[in-house]
Amino acid sequence: MNRLTYLLRRLALSIPVVWLGTTATFAIVRLGPLNPAAAIVGPVNSAEARERLARINERLGLNDPLLEQYSEYMLNLITFDLGQSWVVYPGQDTVALLAAFGPRTLWLGAWAVLIPIFLGIPLGIYAGLHPNTRRDYAASIGGIVWRATPNFWLAVVLLAGLSLSNEFLPGGGWQTFLVETRLVGAPDLSALHTPEGFLTATKQVLPASFVLGSASMGNELRLSRTAVLEIITEDYIETAEAVGVSDRRIVFKHVLRNAAIPLIPVVTSEAYLLVGGSVLVEVVFGINGIGTLFFEAMTTGDLPLAGSLMFVFILITVGINVLQDLLYTVIDPRVGFEGR
Amino acid sequence: MAGNNTARSTPGTEPDHDGRFAPGVGWLAGAALLLAPEAGALVGFLGSLLNVEFVVTVADAVPTLISRETIPNQGVQVPGEGWQGTFFGLSPAAAWALRVVVAYLYAAVWAVWLWRGYTLYRRHYRRRAWTPRDDVFRRFGRHRWGQFGLVIVALFLTLAVFAPALGPTTMERNVYDPYSYEVETYDADAGEVVTVSVGQANLESVSQGTPDRNVPPLAYDAFGRYHPFGTLPSGQDLFTTVAAGSRVSLFVGLLAITVSALVAVGLAMVSAYYGGVVDLLVVLVSDATQALPQLLVVILLSVVLSETWLAQLYSGGVLLALIFALTGWPSLWRAIRGPALQVAERDWVDAADSFGQQPQTTMRKHVLPYVAGYVMVYASMNFGGIVIGIAGLSFLGLGISPPTPEWGRIVDVGQPLLTTASWHVAVIPGLLVVLVVTGFNALGDGIRDAIDAETDLSDEEETSAAASGAGG
Repeated sequence: MNRLTYLLRRLALSIPVVWLGTTATFAIVRLGPLNPAAAIVGPVNSAEARERLARINERLGLNDPLLEQYSEYMLNLITFDLGQSWVVYPGQDTVALLAAFGPRTLWLGAWAVLIPIFLGIPLGIYAGLHPNTRRDYAASIGGIVWRATPNFWLAVVLLAGLSLSNEFLPGGGWQTFLVETRLVGAPDLSALHTPEGFLTATKQVLPASFVLGSASMGNELRLSRTAVLEIITEDYIETAEAVGVSDRRIVFKHVLRNAAIPLIPVVTSEAYLLVGGSVLVEVVFGINGIGTLFFEAMTTGDLPLAGSLMFVFILITVGINVLQDLLYTVIDPRVGFEGR
Repeated sequence: MAGNNTARSTPGTEPDHDGRFAPGVGWLAGAALLLAPEAGALVGFLGSLLNVEFVVTVADAVPTLISRETIPNQGVQVPGEGWQGTFFGLSPAAAWALRVVVAYLYAAVWAVWLWRGYTLYRRHYRRRAWTPRDDVFRRFGRHRWGQFGLVIVALFLTLAVFAPALGPTTMERNVYDPYSYEVETYDADAGEVVTVSVGQANLESVSQGTPDRNVPPLAYDAFGRYHPFGTLPSGQDLFTTVAAGSRVSLFVGLLAITVSALVAVGLAMVSAYYGGVVDLLVVLVSDATQALPQLLVVILLSVVLSETWLAQLYSGGVLLALIFALTGWPSLWRAIRGPALQVAERDWVDAADSFGQQPQTTMRKHVLPYVAGYVMVYASMNFGGIVIGIAGLSFLGLGISPPTPEWGRIVDVGQPLLTTASWHVAVIPGLLVVLVVTGFNALGDGIRDAIDAETDLSDEEETSAAASGAGG
């Protein structure tokens, strides 16, 4: 089986998963005890409200037979007709909202994937190269505790620390460091192409990304440590040492390359955690991304919007899963296409 | 317990009991003796659970060892006379600390006694001299990290079980109905002891950020009340609230884990036995469940179901547990599917089948015991994830509804004060979550290594298993 047929098969297998997930969402949103139209209107205590309720019922097709509702719902989603928002941003198209809010979450998520890679993996490799030393224990235990820390609490504590940073850091605190930024708030992504704009936007989301990526960082630290530990005991490393290859060359050429194999799928699976985790971090750091949009939609009773967003989340997670399996085969040629 | 040692035959010196006195009877007598000082509290708890007023009243009259009646920590400090009304005139801090120590000692004695019971059973009653489980215990006995986890978990369990007695005051007195209770205090201006309602006293012992409006950890307020963790911005005692919150976390976590473990084990047995299409179907359903981001589904479900009767049970705790079970079973199922499939292919399963045994019996007797260990590993690790999840949801204002205390909501309350003198409100519950989750992860690690020294789980499985902060 070549790579293309593997990809096609993998995609075909993900169709029932998306279908089931979307059906479950439909069941929760439409069949649940909370009527979407009633949730939108709120308390019905006037003739006007009653009329509005009937109108929204009609618009959402809630009076149709269930099967018809279901087929229309699915058809709309498949054609990417995601409907509109009713409460949070009344009348706004969901796709337009995604386009407006999505980039901020992507920007946050991208850094949340990158920071752990550049912090967690080097630390783990360092710990693995010096096994059972005090530094190793410090890094390992740090990683374990780090990943057990709830994101919301870490976010709250980090925010407090940064707001106090001008008191114990020389030369002003975090807010005035390099470029002037606020502690909470959304990054300005309009000037990304200029160095100054890029720096400001990055600095603005950096604390939030750091929190969002913290669990991944602990994971990657732990895994890269084990990977390095396993490889440095391999025969070929000993052989390389015996023939006089320099330590530096051994580490970079032989250890790191092989250690990367188990790590890359981990990195993609972390990306998957970020989808759900962004809600809390965005709420604490005041970044109005998709997570906040979903949260607001839920708390204000904008169920149609929340259901459509859920569909997008399902697509993203399933997409990441497919991507991860593909990457596996690209990075490690030993992984066969059969039987996976 | 000490008085009982003489009545008990020493295990190990004789291979069997001497006929006059079975060692098990001695152990049971010891257990009954141990239970006696807490029997009143136990019966009272069961009575309140079943809502039988009469039982609760009777049980309340029975003296209990670990209670604020036996070791009172609230009193009045009269100049020149020391503390009045506390246990032996100790300061409230010392009396409270004594009660905590007694509670933990009591729990420790129980742990030792249960372990003794197990070894006794192993020596005198079990027919086989050795079973594979003995090796599991032996390996765990060398696993320091796992033991650390066990200790943390035990500390957490004790806190949750004895929560009403461990707090310096009670939730009823301090939080739910403070204006119906009174506290006595010495008024220096009037030179006499006066009574103030607890609600009024709370208003004057708030922690709101400025040094003069703050009761830090390990401090007394103006009314001679001791606050081990300081007070909340509303003046309520933080330790009492945190202890009560640990009960909530424990209850929701246990219920969620039990339900999801039942679902996961049931499905694993079915899919391992029948394989093929059944297995594929379960794979699809579990993949679809996992494709929905857990935290978001939990938010969605808890909002959609918030108006139903389910949400009324235990301030939404039951609903929350069910939601976590519904979204959490796939990870448990994935973990035990592999081992279950492997065991189902063994000869003895075939043999049992051809012997004419019912499929349920075959799976229960010949497959389940091999999978049970894995269930424990993943249950322990998922528990931490649920604790984080509940805290995160409550932090957002969903989940457990007030006034029922929850660690995440305390963090939310304390967040604006984090940079001020009242930092303790948000820091302490957060640290406790980290500690408890680390403990459960470590325990899971320990059990996993103890179950099977040979076959390590792959690193990938390891990461997906342990609870991580990303869930909240």
